[in-house]
Amino acid sequence: MESTFYLIAIGFLFGLAGWLLFLWAVRSGQLDDIEATKYRILDDDDEKENSPKKKSEKVDK
Amino acid sequence: MSVTDAPRHGSVRCEHCLQEMPERSSISKKIDGQRHFFCCHGCLGVWEIVHGGSLDTFYNERCDWTPGRPAFTAVNPADFASLIVTDGKTSRLDLSLSGIRCASCVWLVEKVLSRLDGVLSARVNYATRRATFEWRPETISLEKILSTLSNMGYAPLPGNRTASIDAAAAEKREMLLRFGTAGFFSMQLMLITAALYAGFFQGMETHYRTAFQLISWVLSTPVIFYSGFPFLAGAFRSLRSGGANMDVLVSLGALSAYGYSVAMIFTGGELFFDTSAMIVTFILLGRFIEAGSRLKAGSALTALVELQPSEARISEANGETTFVPLDKISKGSLIEVIPGDRVPLDGTVAEGSADVDESMLTGESVPVLKSRGSEVYAGTASLTGRLLIRVTAEPHETVLARIVRTVEEAQARKAPIQGIADRTAAFFVPAIVLLATGTLLWWSLVKGAPVAALMNAVSVLVVACPCALGLATPLAILVGTTAIGRKGILVKGGDLFESVSRTSTVVFDKTGTLTKGRPSITDTLDYQVSDRFMQHCASLEAWSEHPAGKAIVAAWHGERLRVKEFRAIPGMGVAGFIDGRQWIAGTPALLQQEGVKPEPEQLQQVEALRNEGKTVILIACEKRLAGLIALIDTLREEATEMIASLHALGLKNIMLTGDHEVVARTVASHCGITDVRAGLNPLGKADAVRELKQSGATVMMAGDGINDAPALTEADTGLTLGSATGIALESSGIAILNDDLRLITTLFTHARKSFRIIRQNLFWAFGYNMLALPLAISGILHPIVSAILMATSSLVVVGNSLRLRNL
Repeated sequence: MESTFYLIAIGFLFGLAGWLLFLWAVRSGQLDDIEATKYRILDDDDEKENSPKKKSEKVDK
Repeated sequence: MSVTDAPRHGSVRCEHCLQEMPERSSISKKIDGQRHFFCCHGCLGVWEIVHGGSLDTFYNERCDWTPGRPAFTAVNPADFASLIVTDGKTSRLDLSLSGIRCASCVWLVEKVLSRLDGVLSARVNYATRRATFEWRPETISLEKILSTLSNMGYAPLPGNRTASIDAAAAEKREMLLRFGTAGFFSMQLMLITAALYAGFFQGMETHYRTAFQLISWVLSTPVIFYSGFPFLAGAFRSLRSGGANMDVLVSLGALSAYGYSVAMIFTGGELFFDTSAMIVTFILLGRFIEAGSRLKAGSALTALVELQPSEARISEANGETTFVPLDKISKGSLIEVIPGDRVPLDGTVAEGSADVDESMLTGESVPVLKSRGSEVYAGTASLTGRLLIRVTAEPHETVLARIVRTVEEAQARKAPIQGIADRTAAFFVPAIVLLATGTLLWWSLVKGAPVAALMNAVSVLVVACPCALGLATPLAILVGTTAIGRKGILVKGGDLFESVSRTSTVVFDKTGTLTKGRPSITDTLDYQVSDRFMQHCASLEAWSEHPAGKAIVAAWHGERLRVKEFRAIPGMGVAGFIDGRQWIAGTPALLQQEGVKPEPEQLQQVEALRNEGKTVILIACEKRLAGLIALIDTLREEATEMIASLHALGLKNIMLTGDHEVVARTVASHCGITDVRAGLNPLGKADAVRELKQSGATVMMAGDGINDAPALTEADTGLTLGSATGIALESSGIAILNDDLRLITTLFTHARKSFRIIRQNLFWAFGYNMLALPLAISGILHPIVSAILMATSSLVVVGNSLRLRNL
């Protein structure tokens, strides 16, 4: 029984961390634009490399 | 129109904006040994920026394929001065960016801006069409950044970030915080409650039990009083004004379970904190979903509002120009619009002429020529010339303002079926309170069992909890509109599912809806009344917005003649003077009206062409028939299939058209429609729809949004094809974005299914209450069991609604 009690307490702490993260995310505007973000992950940051070219070849096929 | 069609012979497509044009009027440039075509130097410039930065991915990944020339507008950095936030070293600006079409534009703007030396960061919000960037003023000037944007065809606007838009964003955040918090604490609470339930059945040491009870008290408090605050406040307001709405019921359910549980901690009984928290969480979820879908529809609207400048340019008598805020401008005053400017208020052109881009209102990407006497609308952009405009509308009376208001109203209205829940609450709440009090009195006074009395009274309140009721409609509508939106069908409000399901008759416009709307010339007959027949025709039709007129213009490649006193007779034709001679082009009815009498053999020719399903345009010069042009508009491939499937769904199909009876019959028989009303002008179509409604039919009108606006508004449901801008949004509730007629069938089957599921949800939610209440009153139902029942009924509603995810 005692261990259950501790487990619940630990679970609560994990949840609390999640909640605080959520509060931070909302306050700092992370959730203001959920539309473009999903496309942004596909972008190549190292644009000076030839990666865009590679991409275009793939698309052309 | 889409670029999957190859350009017509002799035509090329602009590589940047996809506009189709004759090859000889294009600008071509040899780059890397390959010839590239552009419609204008602006587009070439953008292409060079993109290509030079090896950002060509943009062209491969863009997903909006509608051709349309970008508006290259002049930007004045001074307009933005008041919006800059600066902290000495870096400056920050948040502005509205027009011209963002899809996520590729977001990518391109961010890439190009962040590569500029001195720009620290650049972010574009796709949902709100706003850009935020930070820069070092000593390295780069704001002017340079803004001109980079406008050179790429994106127009930076000082974004009238209105208080209402800000408030909506803040409200959304607050709601998210409340819901997230409720979700977190409720989940923790469920964990503890599960332990307590287990303890209830198996036994539990008292000190653990007390500890768990105290924890659940702590956990449920923020849910009720922070997350549930909107309900408590709403209930308070409603009670003070003497009514009882859903909020009262929600608050009552949550507070009674909460209060009872607090009392039980001290007297030693079972707790129902979880019930009170669940009530709040589930209802909040319903509200959150509702607000979310409303906001989504609102973002397109926000973009529309921002098109209107906040000041107008006024040229004084002494030749100086001043800027005056819109609310200081009265009707009848003269304002000036220079190329690149947006028109601030509706008016008529008093002087000058210009190509005006009206795409934001009409969806038509080809600019319209405006000259003396033409109407211009707020929010449209002058591309080529200077205009002096006599203002005819106050800021709140413009077409743009009207569109915005209509859409706002549409968003605010609730589905009629949603009203059932609210109306029910008005007598449901007092009834439940009466029942709970009755239960309490009966059990304590008659049965003499005060503890059981309290328990059963709470049971009544808990079991009557409207969780499922609150979720039933919004959730089904959300899942339904999202699923159908992915297919390219935009539904403006949830109530439209209801009107679509009730539809008994579908009325189609012929041109542009059942047919492709791009007629091509098949026959030309010149009666030799005047020389240069085609040149006169093309010149006269140059200002026509009718597809037939456009086809005639496209068939003529030479120079055009000057037309004076041009006028368009909607649905009939056009007239004007060329070289002092009066020219009329239009339907036989128009020519008859103007006193033109064709020869009998000419009439026979008209008749013969019509029997082949061709539209005939008669052209008269100085009241004599000069010739005729026959055009044919091909039927969309999928039209026949769609009509057949709608017929199978039990719907009656009717075709309305401004075209001649014979032509209309030919087209109708091809696609399987038997009921045809021909020869109608836009108002005649509206009358026809009204007659159908009076005869008891529920009518859906499918049209192209511009010419059919009156009929679309008159019908119970308006559906537009191919565009979802301005006027289309105003006059119709449903827009099909990608021109595929078969989606109409999808819409019907889906709307019927959605409406069925909403009714099932409501039936379940009410039915559960009807069954459980007597059990709770008679004390058979332990509050724990009623709490479980309540949760189950919510889950059933959720599960049932999710069935709409797949079409």
